[in-house]
Amino acid sequence: MKGRYDDENLKWIPILIIAVYLSPFLLKSATFSYKYYLYILNMAGIYMILTVGLDLLSGFTGLMSLGHAAFLAIGAYTSAILVDQAGLPFELSLIITPVIVGLCGLMIGFPALRIEGMYLGLTTMGFGFIVKRLIIAFRDWTGGSAGLQVSKATLFGFTISNDWNNYFMIYTFAIIAIIVARRIVKSKLGRVFMAIRDSEQAAQASGINIAKYKMLSFFISGMFAGFAGVLFAHTNHFISTDHFDILLSVYFIVMVLVGGVGSIYGAVLGTLFIVLMENMFIPLFKDTLTQYMHLEAGDFQAFIFGLIMLLFIIFQPMGLYGMWLKMRIYWKLFPFNPRKRFT
Amino acid sequence: MDNLKIQNLHMNFSGVKALDDVSFKVQKGEVFSLIGPNGSGKSTLFNCINGFCIPQQGSIKFENVDLLKIKPHETVKHGISRTFQNLQNVPYMTLLDNVLLGAHRRLSMTDTFNRWISQKEREREEAMALEVLDFLGIANFEKKYLSGQPYGIQKLVEIARALICKPKMILMDEPAAGMNDQETLEIAKIISEIRDILGITVLVVEHDMNLVMSISDRICVLDSGKILAMGKPVEVKNHPEVIKVFLGDEAHA
Repeated sequence: MKGRYDDENLKWIPILIIAVYLSPFLLKSATFSYKYYLYILNMAGIYMILTVGLDLLSGFTGLMSLGHAAFLAIGAYTSAILVDQAGLPFELSLIITPVIVGLCGLMIGFPALRIEGMYLGLTTMGFGFIVKRLIIAFRDWTGGSAGLQVSKATLFGFTISNDWNNYFMIYTFAIIAIIVARRIVKSKLGRVFMAIRDSEQAAQASGINIAKYKMLSFFISGMFAGFAGVLFAHTNHFISTDHFDILLSVYFIVMVLVGGVGSIYGAVLGTLFIVLMENMFIPLFKDTLTQYMHLEAGDFQAFIFGLIMLLFIIFQPMGLYGMWLKMRIYWKLFPFNPRKRFT
Repeated sequence: MDNLKIQNLHMNFSGVKALDDVSFKVQKGEVFSLIGPNGSGKSTLFNCINGFCIPQQGSIKFENVDLLKIKPHETVKHGISRTFQNLQNVPYMTLLDNVLLGAHRRLSMTDTFNRWISQKEREREEAMALEVLDFLGIANFEKKYLSGQPYGIQKLVEIARALICKPKMILMDEPAAGMNDQETLEIAKIISEIRDILGITVLVVEHDMNLVMSISDRICVLDSGKILAMGKPVEVKNHPEVIKVFLGDEAHA
């Protein structure tokens, strides 16, 4: 029986994990401005945790969410308030905050039992606006639109002060998050989520309580977002409502789409691609393009991301992960050109 | 011994009478077919049994359980599973996963967080899924994704998913729709095997008369929500009203 149904090919996973931990050392030896690159990678790591959760919700359960920036905001502010104002240790906040954000997710999941597709997207978008206004309204705790200073993270007596330390903390948690998400997808829960996405009738006929699992999906996704929020607050040291714009929610959707809807590694790849694109490649050819087009700095990113999303949907609907799968199959069958087989 | 007992079922869709005073009993371990022209309420009846629709009047009892009081996902718990007229399965999952979806109730949540605790349970269910696939004659396909598979196999996967729930009764909504003659024969064989070997009651909705006549123990003919005739295949075949509905007046003359 054993080996008949292996989940995945596990031999590359340890190598990848080691590579993740070695890459800051390589960066340090390669460039003097490694701290800037580490900052970008940290950003990608935080967003990775969130997009993996978003992929569980939107890609696997088929419930669209345009409110994930709001979940990130709730996570960040909750942790900031818990640690700085209530005086809880950071380790405890790492456990409590995701649960609180997950419960917020449940709150949003409740209308999702009735609403589907685009309308759910709009509902969650409304939730995003509400959260932003609420943060400004509770200015005694959150500092309103002026923003909030957040203390440094202290993990088991060790203060995580700079980008170098942040990198190791964030990527440890990111790896844990990805492994958890993989386990969810590859177990009974993932099957249930996909069944809800593709055929609610079949799910019900095989004894799945759809309401319960849709709520659970929102809860899990909220927990991932809350986790990302905690890390965001304590590595950025400053949060304000400007960080959690509606456009950020859209970017999260773009990350999932570009990576490939319905695959965890896809969400990771998409996040890396978009964050690196935003911070490293766009500045390279920004000046040449702005000579011909009158675009402001922020507009330029929106323009490029819109273009990327458009091109991916038209030419590569399976996303980056789908591209990787195709390449792998291509090299497996190399001499016999299988170009026509996987279109 | 009665298994399923339907009494005085009335179901209206805002003026349209889908079911009008339908009552019959299904015995344990028989193949009971529902036939009738399009729109005669066969699928509505199935949906009522399964809990997708709630009838205005009447009662449906399955082994002393009132099926009208329970939710659709709870029918599996009481031993009723079903297949659908249109394909209702998950294309981007392997065949094995699709079948295991039916075993949802027997798998615990620990599978997600600790693989080793639930390993025994998982392997048991996987072995059972493979057994079911073997029973239906589609073993060795279990690692393939469903999206590329032919229609016949997708239909069989649905039956497999219904079987792995360990039901006492299966509702099959047009199991042979869109199949060629060869596959229809296969389905007929499978249905009679389900009855004879597994001892499961089968309720079939089907348009293929040859299939219905060859496998059914009893047949119920519905026409615009009313029961026209009920009985053994031979009786139904020669029933004047049935011939009138199916073939028209001239054919009878």
